[in-house]
Amino acid sequence: MTEISVDAIYVPSEDVVAREIEGELIIVPLVAGIGDLEDELYTLNETGKAIWDRLDGVTSLRALAAALAEEYEASPGEIEQDVCGLVEELLRRRMLVEASGV
Amino acid sequence: MKRQVFEPALYTIRGDELSLSGAALLGLMREVLSKGVPFRFRAKGWSMLPFIRDGDVISISPLTHASPSVGDVVAFVRPGSGTLVVHRVVARRGSTCLIQSDNSPGSGDGLIPRGSILGRVTRVERGGQQIRLGLGPERFLIACLSRVGLLLPVWRRAAPIFRRIFRRSS
Repeated sequence: MTEISVDAIYVPSEDVVAREIEGELIIVPLVAGIGDLEDELYTLNETGKAIWDRLDGVTSLRALAAALAEEYEASPGEIEQDVCGLVEELLRRRMLVEASGV
Repeated sequence: MKRQVFEPALYTIRGDELSLSGAALLGLMREVLSKGVPFRFRAKGWSMLPFIRDGDVISISPLTHASPSVGDVVAFVRPGSGTLVVHRVVARRGSTCLIQSDNSPGSGDGLIPRGSILGRVTRVERGGQQIRLGLGPERFLIACLSRVGLLLPVWRRAAPIFRRIFRRSS
């Protein structure tokens, strides 16, 4: 299990193509160097997309969670926990990389 | 006013169940090809019969520095409509390519600028099998026949022979 630090900064990996289509974010992994629309693709729900949009290689997870706490009816602690949970899953699927490692 | 629910989630979707508009498909293809990697998707339509059928899975590879050759099947953006089309190059004139479908003699796409061509078809799959006919060295002959409107008449005569050959080899 990857240890996520709230002070870390992440950015979408070069190994995915993400595009908003009719309001939905579609993430295409470039598996074996191919953008394969016949294979598994990924999508995020609205709050997942709100996190993804802020993974800009500049904003830390802590700052990202604080910004989202202004928009959503949840405590900053809960939001931070959910952000870390999603980031962990995205890292596991190699859709994100740590910005310092870019 | 704050929105209520905060439950971020990632979902998996099957690509072949995703119904994309032409514009959405074009956008995704452009982004994937811009990374220098091929783009694989399911073709729709009958305009490239007999070599590409509706439902075949095709791979488009990015054009690097080389322009497409006569006989190449290419993906391009049709000027004016902006739609994504996959048809064959039948001639080259300067920096443009004369492109037309294999299955509609006499109704070509006209001269398409090199900049509108996104990539070339490098693989066709049907029922899990790779289909090579139409993309190999014979593609030049196919283009020449297509250009003079003889592809389909010749194909009607040649198809039984090809079927026998492929039945024997399978």
